[in-house]
Amino acid sequence: MAQSSGKTTLTGWLFTGPALMLLTFFMVYPILSSLWMSLQVGKGMNFSFGGFANMWRLTQDAVFQKALLNTLTLLVVQVPIMIALAMLLAVALNDPSLKGRALFRTAIFLPCVTSLVAYSVLFKSMFAYDGVVNRFLEALHILDQPIPWLSDTFWAKVLIILAITWRWTGYNMIFFLAALQNIEPSIYEAARIDGIPRWAQFQKITLPALIPVVLFTTVTSTIGTLQLFDEVNNITLGGPANATMTLSLYIYQLSFKFMPSFGYAATVSYVIVVLVMILSFFQFVAARDRRRP
Amino acid sequence: MVYTLLSIAAFVSVFPFLWLIVGATNISSDILSGKTTPGHALFDNIVKLTQQVDLVQLFYNSTKIAVISTILTLIVASLAGYGFEIFKSKFSERVFAGLLAMLSVPFAALMIPLFVTMAQLHLINTHTAVILPTVASIFVIFYFRQASKSFPMELRDAARVDGLREWQIFLFVYMPVMRSTYAAATIITFMASWNNYLWPLIVLQTNEMKTITLAVASLLSAYVPDYGVVMVATTLATLPTLLIFFILQRQFVQGLLGSLK
Amino acid sequence: MTGLKLSNVRKTYGVLEVIKDVSLEVKPKEFVVFVGPSGCGKSTLLRMIAGLEKITAGDLEIGGKRMNEVEPSKRGIAMVFQSYALYPHLTVRENMGFALRFAGVPKNEIIKQVDAAAQTLELGALMDRRPGELSGGQRQRVAIGRAIVRKPEVFLFDEPLSNLDAELRVHMRIELARLHKSLAATVIYVTHDQVEAMTLADKIVVMRNGLISQVGSPLDVYDNPDNMFVAGFIGSPKINFIKGVVDGVSKSGLTVVLPGYQDAKVTFATKNSSVPVGDSVTVGLRPQHFNTTGKMKFKLNVELVEHLGGESFVYAGNGSGDLITVATQEGRGLKSGQKFDAHIDPAKALLFDANGQRVR
Ligand SMILES: Nc1ncnc2c1ncn2[C@@H]1O[C@H](COP(=O)(O)OP(=O)(O)OP(=O)(O)O)[C@@H](O)[C@H]1O
Ligand SMILES: [Mg+2]
Repeated sequence: MAQSSGKTTLTGWLFTGPALMLLTFFMVYPILSSLWMSLQVGKGMNFSFGGFANMWRLTQDAVFQKALLNTLTLLVVQVPIMIALAMLLAVALNDPSLKGRALFRTAIFLPCVTSLVAYSVLFKSMFAYDGVVNRFLEALHILDQPIPWLSDTFWAKVLIILAITWRWTGYNMIFFLAALQNIEPSIYEAARIDGIPRWAQFQKITLPALIPVVLFTTVTSTIGTLQLFDEVNNITLGGPANATMTLSLYIYQLSFKFMPSFGYAATVSYVIVVLVMILSFFQFVAARDRRRP
Repeated sequence: MVYTLLSIAAFVSVFPFLWLIVGATNISSDILSGKTTPGHALFDNIVKLTQQVDLVQLFYNSTKIAVISTILTLIVASLAGYGFEIFKSKFSERVFAGLLAMLSVPFAALMIPLFVTMAQLHLINTHTAVILPTVASIFVIFYFRQASKSFPMELRDAARVDGLREWQIFLFVYMPVMRSTYAAATIITFMASWNNYLWPLIVLQTNEMKTITLAVASLLSAYVPDYGVVMVATTLATLPTLLIFFILQRQFVQGLLGSLK
Repeated sequence: MTGLKLSNVRKTYGVLEVIKDVSLEVKPKEFVVFVGPSGCGKSTLLRMIAGLEKITAGDLEIGGKRMNEVEPSKRGIAMVFQSYALYPHLTVRENMGFALRFAGVPKNEIIKQVDAAAQTLELGALMDRRPGELSGGQRQRVAIGRAIVRKPEVFLFDEPLSNLDAELRVHMRIELARLHKSLAATVIYVTHDQVEAMTLADKIVVMRNGLISQVGSPLDVYDNPDNMFVAGFIGSPKINFIKGVVDGVSKSGLTVVLPGYQDAKVTFATKNSSVPVGDSVTVGLRPQHFNTTGKMKFKLNVELVEHLGGESFVYAGNGSGDLITVATQEGRGLKSGQKFDAHIDPAKALLFDANGQRVR
């Protein structure tokens, strides 16, 4: 009902002004600046125009390709597992007759209180070669030989996947729970009166209500995974043999380790931007298709 | 069946916390060999930690950065969220859509130019450099805009009839009415700042300026980390957020969900 | 004392015109009610008077001064909102004194005025509660109290009772009427409840599609509607409209036949009607005007009877036309299917031309 006279519009811009100014300076400008930088070559603060030289370098850079592959692998394996797990746990927790519901919920949610650095400490120590996890699995006779979590290229990836899943499943579960609790109980009551079986209720009532959440959590998790840095920098340092090198970590190393190469690092960062844009586009298409009956 | 699943999930979720606390009482080699019973090294570990880092300074730095950044973020973001919702125009909606698009730009793409800018402003290794880029958080702006949709329009009208100016309406009506929104946003923002790692890692270079989170990371990255000491440090770094979570669990969850509505 | 004048007032949102040329004069101390169906522009017009919406064109005068561009708080008005709009974080006392606080009134003066208003509305015991701890009726009283404290010249009410249950609504209606007498202030009141309009108003303004359809006293609007819309909107149950054709025109009046009812004839004592013979017209008959002695007779069959206790509403037809609603005190024995003769005095019938305008 706001009036759209000139005076009130001005008032509106006064409210949004401080934020817009800061964003221009610390967001818009850096985005454009890194686009410009990606066209520069050179080390340290000495740039010279290099045109598409950096992009050519991408195609020659084995570490970059490895980081890209690792990031995409993590994405494709980890995100679906976590979302499915979060949904499963939410559905299990949504049963009002469940005893100790609040306790379970709090416990499962607890990991997302820790900082990314703090839980890196935990995982690095628990997954040591003689560490508690290997001991435990041996005691259960699941393993007869310890797993070299930190020094094997395959298991290091598994470790990172386990770590991220531990940290974020509870977080995502909360969104599913909220969506489940938004479903009118009377809909289920009506379905029961109509004699609709349990699995059909789940399929026709519960699942449709969860699809927007699946979309939302998939997008946020994907963006998060594309930016994966804290864990790999602290647990594995990208190793062994770059097996857990991610794009963000690589950008960091290019920029702030050894001889900084800002221009090339900016180019790599635009790879992430392009990936996010492609994925956002898919999300947009999915959301639009869903709106069509 | 359901109970088994939930019990396993709960155990897996909580075990690392127990591990953390038990670990703080053990020596490094015991931790690495998977000792799950409390040891006697807690005091030793604490002493060693205080010898290696200036705990008071670290906590002071972390708290200072988190408090200032939270206060500024809340002011700037709630003003903007309110402004975008109440004073909608075709153009402002377009600007807002632009902000949302930027929400998905990864920090990695910003950090290099940001670093260069900070260097040009001679702000490297200052807390100002850590705080400034986090203040206009698009996420928090978005959160406040969503929440503002539930702010009753009639209340604004009543305030206008009562003779309040626009800034008075914001200060004396909107802010107190929306205090649970502010509470939730405070928690989220404070935690994000307390746990922030990559950007402080880049701009903070000397030990006197570092945060507790950075200190934990640097203890861990030692050539042969002393896990007993690291565990004590991690416990201390996690304690504030854990306390906030247990005291304000409801607002915390509400804060998370705010972005979905 | 302050009256109010609207001259050729308009409001457009983009291309949508929601108030189309409204002119109206409100006398000091008058209780004016805007009624009309949902979306006809009542709230918009009220908010324009309050200064919450800009006036696109035309003039608004309050107390003889042009007020188009004046701040809401400086117009000498106070407003009571449909959802009360009490500040949830303030106590009743603080809510009532809020406007004075921002007008720079000294503290002890605020206390005095708030207490005086609290006394008028018997809010004494509630003063330190917050709105969340009050019932709907109490909140409504506080909202009115907040308006009174400002000592406005003009009170504006936007459907203030529509969130209350039926019983409380009647109670508050009476309280409002009493309050209007004791405050001796000008009131503009928006509702779409025609009972509220009839009982409270000195002057009813019936609106439709952004235009004023008729202005008059409640009984005037009921007895003497200008058009079919007003006749249909005011009065409950709704007036019966029966299609007819003009059969003859003479000096003394005009005769209408009702083809749906065995070509029954009615004569209207119109003065100077221009409706020619053969034109279709509509005859309006209020349900309450039927009796057992009137000259005009409708032979009907009862379809449905609603017993309200004292009164009964009979819905009856003859198979051809629409059902006719009859309000009667003697409907207790009636059952559906029964034969039912409805009589009415032809002098009570209202005549409308093909465009729905009244023929007098
Ligand atoms: N801000 C706006 N922008 C566009 N159209 C509007 C706006 N506000 C109101 N309208 C339109 O103006 C018309 C009149 O609205 P108004 O609220 O005055 O109706 P009303 O008579 O008060 O109805 P009700 O009895 O339902 O409250 C409606 O058709 C409405 O859709
Ligand atoms: Mg209205």
